[in-house]
Amino acid sequence: MAPKSRHPEKSATASSSTPAKSSSKGGHVDAHEIVHGVWSKYVDKTPQRVKLLDSFMAFLVVVGALQFIYCCLVGNFPFNAFLSGFSATVGQFVLTASLRMQTNPENKAEFESISHERAFADFVFGSLILHFFCINFIN
Amino acid sequence: MRWLFSLLLLALLGAVQALSYTGGRLLVVLEEQSEREKYSVFLEDLAARGFHTTVDSPKSDKLSLFRHGERAYDHVILLPGKSKGLGPALTATQFLDFMKKEGNVLVALSSDHATPTAVQSLLLELDIHVPSDKGALVVDHFNYDSNSAAEKHDVLLLPYPKPLRPDVKNYFAGEGFIAVPRAIGQTLGNESPLIEPILRAPCTAYSYNPKDEADAVEDPFATGEQLSIVSSMQAHNSARLTVLGAAEMLQNGWFAEKATLNGKAIKTANRDFAQKLTAWTFKETGVLKIGKLFHYLDEGVSKKLNTSLAIPENNPKIYRVKQDVAFQVEISEYQGDHLAPYFPAPGDSVQLEFSMLSPFHRLNLTPISQTANSTIFGVSFKTPDQHGIFNFRINYRRPFLTNVDEKRQVTVRHFAHDEWPRSWQISGAWVWIGGIWVTVVGWVAFVAVWLYSAPTEKSVKKTQ
Repeated sequence: MAPKSRHPEKSATASSSTPAKSSSKGGHVDAHEIVHGVWSKYVDKTPQRVKLLDSFMAFLVVVGALQFIYCCLVGNFPFNAFLSGFSATVGQFVLTASLRMQTNPENKAEFESISHERAFADFVFGSLILHFFCINFIN
Repeated sequence: MRWLFSLLLLALLGAVQALSYTGGRLLVVLEEQSEREKYSVFLEDLAARGFHTTVDSPKSDKLSLFRHGERAYDHVILLPGKSKGLGPALTATQFLDFMKKEGNVLVALSSDHATPTAVQSLLLELDIHVPSDKGALVVDHFNYDSNSAAEKHDVLLLPYPKPLRPDVKNYFAGEGFIAVPRAIGQTLGNESPLIEPILRAPCTAYSYNPKDEADAVEDPFATGEQLSIVSSMQAHNSARLTVLGAAEMLQNGWFAEKATLNGKAIKTANRDFAQKLTAWTFKETGVLKIGKLFHYLDEGVSKKLNTSLAIPENNPKIYRVKQDVAFQVEISEYQGDHLAPYFPAPGDSVQLEFSMLSPFHRLNLTPISQTANSTIFGVSFKTPDQHGIFNFRINYRRPFLTNVDEKRQVTVRHFAHDEWPRSWQISGAWVWIGGIWVTVVGWVAFVAVWLYSAPTEKSVKKTQ
């Protein structure tokens, strides 16, 4: 099942690399077109679950950045509150990144022994511990 | 029976009345018993104020300042005599030991007699200096009595002393002029904070020895206000020693004598001044007493001062940092025969220190109320942001007042873990609380979508 799903992916990456090379050789391709090409390929070729992971991580980056900017602008008065708020997002990002590595079909060879269900269960367990710690720390 | 009892009580009250705060046993050291007549009024005045006077000669065998290792007398007056030694019972060490046991000493000097070596070394020990040669006396060519010393100018007529500083109480104030005949002037060392002048010579006076043959005085012992005619020393344990430069001041002959100052007839006020001087030296005045000392938590509803003295001192042993604490202390001043409310001189105030090694707070105490015989001083403050073992301390040392050093030790602890404000009570933390909960909610939504989306993918794969 897995190799089947991997096959089109590989071919997709191969096909995507060839036009990129040709374009760099040509030297005159619009930057907009490159971005558009990358985006459309991402949309077409990435599995739905990886897209879901990516969008969650993007959301976490936005939330973390907002907290950090607020801290820089206003100050870190209850410092434990800043630490726990910011580290909740950062920690969640790290956990999500691990889940993405373990469940990405491209990394199938590296994580042969870990099933997706096991990876997801680890992720849920780790996240719950993280939330528990952060809520306790902010008091 | 009852009248007998009340009579006894009255007699006791009479015995207690107008007595020194520390006791009434007074030793007068006088070498020539024949000279006793000269001091009769002075001694009668003392007896009338409740002192039990013992007059003894330094040559007496029985004479001792101590009995069974304790003070045999509460106060000593040392009047000048002919002999240069005072004998083995009255050495400088004996006097110092007597003061260490809180005995008070009045040393009277006279230029007619040589200062005994014991007294000289005693004064030297206390940083009070007297001229070493016999016969040196204070003269003033402006403030002399033209009745008795028209030629020699060695009987000074001085007004009562002014307060030492504006913020120090004056226990020697009065109206009139004090005759100071043939005084030995003293100079006071700069090092000791315990010695204070009571009566200074006027700025035109100087110390000089008439036996010197020279016409003009060269290199006098001291001049002007440098010269102290009456000086005092109060030890850390509040034992008092007064040096009176002219013992003749205490004699009957000068107690209410007619004198002439710059052509103006006046009457000397020595009797009154001698009374004030002995009253201070023998602790009838200038004695402070600390009564009850309270401190308590001053937070929440019961935020009012506790002015009742009926309850005992049950002070808490422990406080927390940054708590509001109130402190109160009762201070009385002994005035001749009773305790009266104490009020510091204007410009002065009793201070409270809240200290751990060094004071974290040093606060002026304000009088908040008053009882029949004490003033209640109080102050409120916030404990510092520092935990440890602290002292409530009143360290009040002023010239002419007995030293007060009272301490109450308390522990100041830090915040307990459940005494910090919760995160939502601090509005500054709301952003980050929001951050956590957005993350948590986002995570829950992600998990839901992940689980929901799983089967569709599988079905897609299956169809493939």
